[in-house]
Amino acid sequence: MSDLEIGLARYLAHRMPSASGIEVSGLSRIHGGSSQETYRYEAKWSEAGEAKQGWFILRRAPEAGLVNAEHDLEYTVYSALAGKGVPIPRVHFLELDRQWLERPFFIMDMAPGKPGHFFNSEDPYEGESGAVGRNFWTHLGALASLDTGGLGLDMLRGAGDPRPAWQRELDHWEQRLDEGEDIVEPLLRGAIRWMRRNPPPRPARLSVVHGDYRSGNFLFLPDGAISAVLDWEMCHLGDPLEDIAWALDPMWSMGRYFDEERGLELWQQASGIAIDREALDWWRLFAAIKASAIWTTAEKSVEEGVSQEMVLGLTVSRAGPFHRGVVLRAMERRGVMG
Amino acid sequence: MKLRRTTILQVIETKLTRDIMPLLSDDFAHNDLRMAASLLAIDRMERENAVALQVEEHERLRALFADAAAIVDDAALRERLQAAASGRTANFRLSALEAETGALRGLLVALHEHVEARGDPASREMDQAIWRAIRDTERSRNPAS
Repeated sequence: MSDLEIGLARYLAHRMPSASGIEVSGLSRIHGGSSQETYRYEAKWSEAGEAKQGWFILRRAPEAGLVNAEHDLEYTVYSALAGKGVPIPRVHFLELDRQWLERPFFIMDMAPGKPGHFFNSEDPYEGESGAVGRNFWTHLGALASLDTGGLGLDMLRGAGDPRPAWQRELDHWEQRLDEGEDIVEPLLRGAIRWMRRNPPPRPARLSVVHGDYRSGNFLFLPDGAISAVLDWEMCHLGDPLEDIAWALDPMWSMGRYFDEERGLELWQQASGIAIDREALDWWRLFAAIKASAIWTTAEKSVEEGVSQEMVLGLTVSRAGPFHRGVVLRAMERRGVMG
Repeated sequence: MKLRRTTILQVIETKLTRDIMPLLSDDFAHNDLRMAASLLAIDRMERENAVALQVEEHERLRALFADAAAIVDDAALRERLQAAASGRTANFRLSALEAETGALRGLLVALHEHVEARGDPASREMDQAIWRAIRDTERSRNPAS
């Protein structure tokens, strides 16, 4: 039994006083969800004379990550969105006290299904791209349709902020660039100033924005159903077009596997919102800026020795140049070079 | 024959992927090692051009600053542009080159903001010239862009 398994069993005994004989086994780390350390494990216990068993996910705060997530944010979002029409895992415990596992963590059910490995496969959804694509866009539309007022998510970025959603998000990610850039990238700064001079209109509706809704951040089943949308660390309130643009980013675009226009139609049907194409184009440029800011944060973490995660080093090395290329082509299309 | 650093890196990559990875049973460790080998490959490929790319960028920006100094009406900015335009890269250590790149790019951003705030034809032309210089630098660093 590893130290982490022992600590986890001790914690579960503390949180489940009516359970006895708690055993934790099979704990192994999973790649993905780079902002949190993610582990799966099996737990067995007895409760009221009945033997119980299940597989669970432990999400522990990292030493450093791609984004500086608030430790309770993801747990709070999962709790608030339970039963609201978007498939998510059931959460059990949030623990901010570092005495148990050294860092904050939360525990949730391990949802069935698997992520599509879009970097390593031409057919990440194993012949079910049609069904996965339909569900992908429909669930995102359902998220955009939720009335944010009654969800208890007033702690999210964007709640009660008088700035337009585009400005708040651009300010947020430019600040990440300010904090993380060792050598300034004039391309990104020029694009950001252009975006400030040419903002999109206010959104049709303030929505819950997942913040990282894309291929790789959900689990699918053999019939193409999506069993769980994951990785909500960057969730906030804002313009729902932000999530569409992120989902269409060329690094992980769902458009590779499912017709983009059909996807946008499905989203409109599910959300009840008509997509402003010019505004969506602004948000697509924003997606590449945000991605660049995330890679810059990760770069800083590795450079300063805060993180030694290989996945961060490799992501930064590949994705940084990729997204600068996206920004460059977007600015060329806007005619800034004459 | 001289044993090159790039060859040493390639030997390490091969050792990791061919000999050591198959010995690992833990999925997470296996993936970590695969990524470490990929990082070595990226470093090996970038090493060859690291100095040349920065020196080219310095020359490109200095030429642009010389042109810009003729149209900028802000005396302090003009002086900075002239000083940068007449400078030359003398220290070719990577850390010194990066410091110089940072200083020149900082000045480029200041110049860009300056011309964006003006609407005269010369400033608009300089704005476009700055974007072309940014494009050329990016394409040199990242041919796929």
